[in-house]
Amino acid sequence: MGLEQLFTSAFLITWLAASVRLAGPVLLAALGEIFDELGGILNIGIEGTILFGALTSFLISFLIGNAWLGILGAIIVGIISNLFLAWMYITVRANQVVVGIIFNLLALGLTSYTFRAVLGTQARPQKATMIETLDIPILSDLPFFGPVFFSHSIFLYITIALVFVSGFVLYRTKFGLKLRAVGEHPRAADTAGINVMKMRYIGVMISGAAASLAGAYLVLGQLGIFRDNIVSGRGFIALAIVIFGRWNPYKAALAALVFGAADALQLSLQIFAFKIPPQVLLSLPYFLTILAMSGLMGKAVQPAALLKPYNKN
Amino acid sequence: MVPYIELRNINKRFSDVNANDHVDLSVNMGEIHALLGENGAGKSTLMNILYGLDYKDEGEIFVQGQFSDIRTPSDAIALGIGMIHQDFMLIPPFTVTENVVVGLDEEGSSPLLDLDKAARSIKALSEQHGLDVDPHARVEHLSVGEEQRVEILKLLFRNAKLLILDEPTAVLTPQEAEGLFEVLRSLADNDHTIIFITHKLHEVMNISDRVTVMRDGKAIDTLKTESTNPRELAMKMVGREVVFHIDKNLRKSGECVLQIENLHVDDDTGYHKVQGVSLDVHSGEILGLAGVDGNGQSELAQALMNLRPIKEGNIIVNDVDVTNISSSLHRSAGMAYVPADRRKVGSVSELSVALNTILGNINHYTTAGNLIIQDLQVREHAEELVERFDVRPRNLTLDAGKLSGGNLQKVVLGREIMHEPSLLIVEQPSRGLDVGATEYVRRQLLTERDRGTAIFLISAELEEILALSDRIAIIYEGEIMGVINSDEAVVEAIGLMMGGTRLEDLPGYR
Amino acid sequence: MMSKASFLERRQTPKESSSVTIFITALAIILALLFGSLLFLPFGVDPFKAYSTMVELSFGTLRGIGYTLIKATPLIFVGLGTIFAWRSGFFYLGFEGTILIGAAAAVWIALLTDPEGAIGPLPRLLFLLLVFLVSFVAGGIWAGIVGVMRGKFGGNEVILSLMMNFVALFLVNYLVSGPLRAPGDLPQTPRIPQATILDFIIPGTRAHSGILLALFAAIVVWFVLRKTTIGYKQIVAGLSPSAAWYGGINVGNRVILAAFIGGGLGALAGMVEVLGVHFRLLDGLGEGTGFVGIVAALLGKLHSIGVVIASILYAGMEVGADVMQRRAGVPSSVIFVIQSLIVLFILASDILRYYRINLSKLFGNDRGKKTLEVDSST
Repeated sequence: MGLEQLFTSAFLITWLAASVRLAGPVLLAALGEIFDELGGILNIGIEGTILFGALTSFLISFLIGNAWLGILGAIIVGIISNLFLAWMYITVRANQVVVGIIFNLLALGLTSYTFRAVLGTQARPQKATMIETLDIPILSDLPFFGPVFFSHSIFLYITIALVFVSGFVLYRTKFGLKLRAVGEHPRAADTAGINVMKMRYIGVMISGAAASLAGAYLVLGQLGIFRDNIVSGRGFIALAIVIFGRWNPYKAALAALVFGAADALQLSLQIFAFKIPPQVLLSLPYFLTILAMSGLMGKAVQPAALLKPYNKN
Repeated sequence: MVPYIELRNINKRFSDVNANDHVDLSVNMGEIHALLGENGAGKSTLMNILYGLDYKDEGEIFVQGQFSDIRTPSDAIALGIGMIHQDFMLIPPFTVTENVVVGLDEEGSSPLLDLDKAARSIKALSEQHGLDVDPHARVEHLSVGEEQRVEILKLLFRNAKLLILDEPTAVLTPQEAEGLFEVLRSLADNDHTIIFITHKLHEVMNISDRVTVMRDGKAIDTLKTESTNPRELAMKMVGREVVFHIDKNLRKSGECVLQIENLHVDDDTGYHKVQGVSLDVHSGEILGLAGVDGNGQSELAQALMNLRPIKEGNIIVNDVDVTNISSSLHRSAGMAYVPADRRKVGSVSELSVALNTILGNINHYTTAGNLIIQDLQVREHAEELVERFDVRPRNLTLDAGKLSGGNLQKVVLGREIMHEPSLLIVEQPSRGLDVGATEYVRRQLLTERDRGTAIFLISAELEEILALSDRIAIIYEGEIMGVINSDEAVVEAIGLMMGGTRLEDLPGYR
Repeated sequence: MMSKASFLERRQTPKESSSVTIFITALAIILALLFGSLLFLPFGVDPFKAYSTMVELSFGTLRGIGYTLIKATPLIFVGLGTIFAWRSGFFYLGFEGTILIGAAAAVWIALLTDPEGAIGPLPRLLFLLLVFLVSFVAGGIWAGIVGVMRGKFGGNEVILSLMMNFVALFLVNYLVSGPLRAPGDLPQTPRIPQATILDFIIPGTRAHSGILLALFAAIVVWFVLRKTTIGYKQIVAGLSPSAAWYGGINVGNRVILAAFIGGGLGALAGMVEVLGVHFRLLDGLGEGTGFVGIVAALLGKLHSIGVVIASILYAGMEVGADVMQRRAGVPSSVIFVIQSLIVLFILASDILRYYRINLSKLFGNDRGKKTLEVDSST
């Protein structure tokens, strides 16, 4: 196979479809993180929350056989775990980066422990009941657009819908204006009568639901199994997508697509007998994130109060 | 007549300080009531309590005769009380409309925003009260005077009947301040009540109907403005006779120590902030640079120490061109700098007092080729400093951030003075300091001047410039409007120059 | 919160004293251990017995002490790297990556000194010096990349360093599956020559001389930060970039140095792991150490001595956890839970400094003017 095949329709379709598919979980996590950061909180613990969601959805689905209950369980666990994070960030006012990093370690320990405790030490990875892919009638039969956009897991459709919901909430509702005010100038928001702490708590819990749902997405929508390193830094990539997408849900969706494309390249190019070591392609999304965050691409104007805890006194 | 607002027996403690000591205050409807006092007198605390930003330990608040338990700004807003702070509570990337409506959430109203409708109401309101502003403009693009108008609009939009203003003229030129006073008078004539926090006596005399003087957390007295005078007010404010004039004993100045030639400097956003400034400062003189904060003074001071890149121009100190030397070499060239922000720039709050005394000059206290710090030398130096400049407490290991403003300023100023510079650049030296500390700092500057040091004083407090300077330069939008001798200084003329009129264009200039 | 009948009264400023700090740290450790013990229960393990066995095994026997020191060594290096970087204001999180890079560099040099390698056998001292330098510099450059991005371009080092961890992972994975792979199927390099292995220092244990290097490094880091101008500048740059700038300190350069030194120290963790424990480069080397080391540094309040103590404590716990997994089947990942909970509780307990226990209200004695005030420092 050679270069010409690279440009044939089949390769492109597979690649784009895979890009959209792989962008899903990171985009979902990123949408949640937008609500964190616009409120002024940098939540590095998102990686841990995704892990919690992944494990919860796996266990429930595996043990009970019902994937939808698994999703529900994941969302509940995500909100609870982020309630703790929110408390540390907002009430205790501890250093957000420090808390996030330690939380991720905690999540790794708890999920690894629980997985082994429940399943014992099994040789082969166990598969959980998944959510099937949904082919949207008629639309999925379209040439090119069909496989790329309309034959995906229901998780993806939910995620896309959430992009629009997020945009609406953030820019067309009073809640959204209040949240953004809190992230820019909490003191001003306070004097205007806004409860800064409450807004930030809500933001963090929204991201908890989104992140753990992203974990459920990974397990029940894509991989079907659980392992310790299932998240593999996707939470951190979501952080990059938020910045890359300038804290805007629509731009974040585009950014996520770019990362998904990088991720997908590894799958698609493996068909060809290129002499690129697989590790190079596997690390493409990370390289892309590095490029995006390096500062070489100019500085993004972030929410002014990001990372600064708010003290009423 | 029942007072519109009555505060009874308000008591508020912050750890061991009694910020409000059983304070009584009553304000009548339609009056402009001044709350006069020094820094730390308790005026802001009292108003923060009235506005719900803080909560009293004891006491009662009555609005229109009704007991009111105000716990949050929302409570205050619901009662028709609005407050404008010294630092504007505006969100820079938001538009005027967004700033005005944010947080507004009436019972039963839709959760959706309607910015267009709000913008129209704001435009109408602004025209009604002479507060001209574009509802669609982003706040970050507005001038300071326009920002203040937005703040007032915010209050009026929420049907505030009582407006509390905290030091509103701190960032305005004398002319802009007059404009504000006109708006306030008009509002008062239209059934609004105004409480006006200030430490400026002439403002009290100018605009208020009644004035309450506060000192050390207590309400000392409430007077009808027309029956009092600045001297009486000053005495009540400070508790003793105030010297309005420090004896400067005018000296003849000596050689030129600092020569700034056609300096051009950009600020952090790349804006051409200093545009062709030329000045000179001589030994044994204080050159005061007057101007409203933000007209390029900070950038100018930073450029002098090469803490900010110089686009064009030259700086010559003692006949040596120091334009491009590194900032550490400036100090060896005889320059010293006391920045405006003593807590974030002039010192390291989490570091000990001792280690702060070597900031900017580490190599003086090292050995082994400037690699290892000589603890003993550092301690001796620090001990000398706290003795000489009476820093309290005398604890060298204390974190510098725990010192009071005045004592911290003594450390910063002392550190720079102890290097015996030939040129001392001081920015806003008495900002945020109480009377005692202010007096001390000013005396130190005069002492240094008498010893032959050239002092370049940058201050937004016109009164400070007038009290200390031998010559006065005025900066506006990065350009020098004029330089005059202090004995020729007339406040109105300086005010005009601060607002952009050049010296040669002043009426009456010959 | 003023007039509530609570025995917890809010202070205006937090009470800070070392007695409070020690009390809080001890309380946090106990609470974390309690939580951890909940995780033992499903395995029918008596928590009290488990903990005492852990202490006995990790610190009570010679062999145990040996294992504890082995595990503590890389944690100390990562902790020291954290101290130097973070106190300079550079929030580097890429120690996982530097461990791998340092390990790869060390293995590469070691293999080169194989009798059939390009360099051939070297005198011991020369070899140690060489491998130390190459490892340190490799890690320094690895982290330095992030340092330059932050120092010169204002990039976000938090996300950058996390990403670099994954790149390092893939790099090592590539090396052990390809160019450096030993004959056979396993993703690992050949064993390093006997002459390159670190000396055992405690007879009867496998404790190697890496611990001595770590302790020495701890002293050096302390000295540099406390007594040298470099240290002063780093600390000022970390505490207040604006004051640093005022004081003529170039914060960007400070950040780059912080990255280099931090990365170098992190790499030494990897070096001692391969030269003293694993004797080859393999997938998954030092997994988790890069983060546990950061947590240990936080527990040690970012001071050299604290880091050493915290690392030994955490290492002892890990040794104990390994044993518990073997004997009772409790997954060893339970230790991550305890290690992280300790520091999280300490962070959370910071708000306790804002409270004062009012005993008289606790016992309902509101009458009379006498209030027994007990500070949370007892």
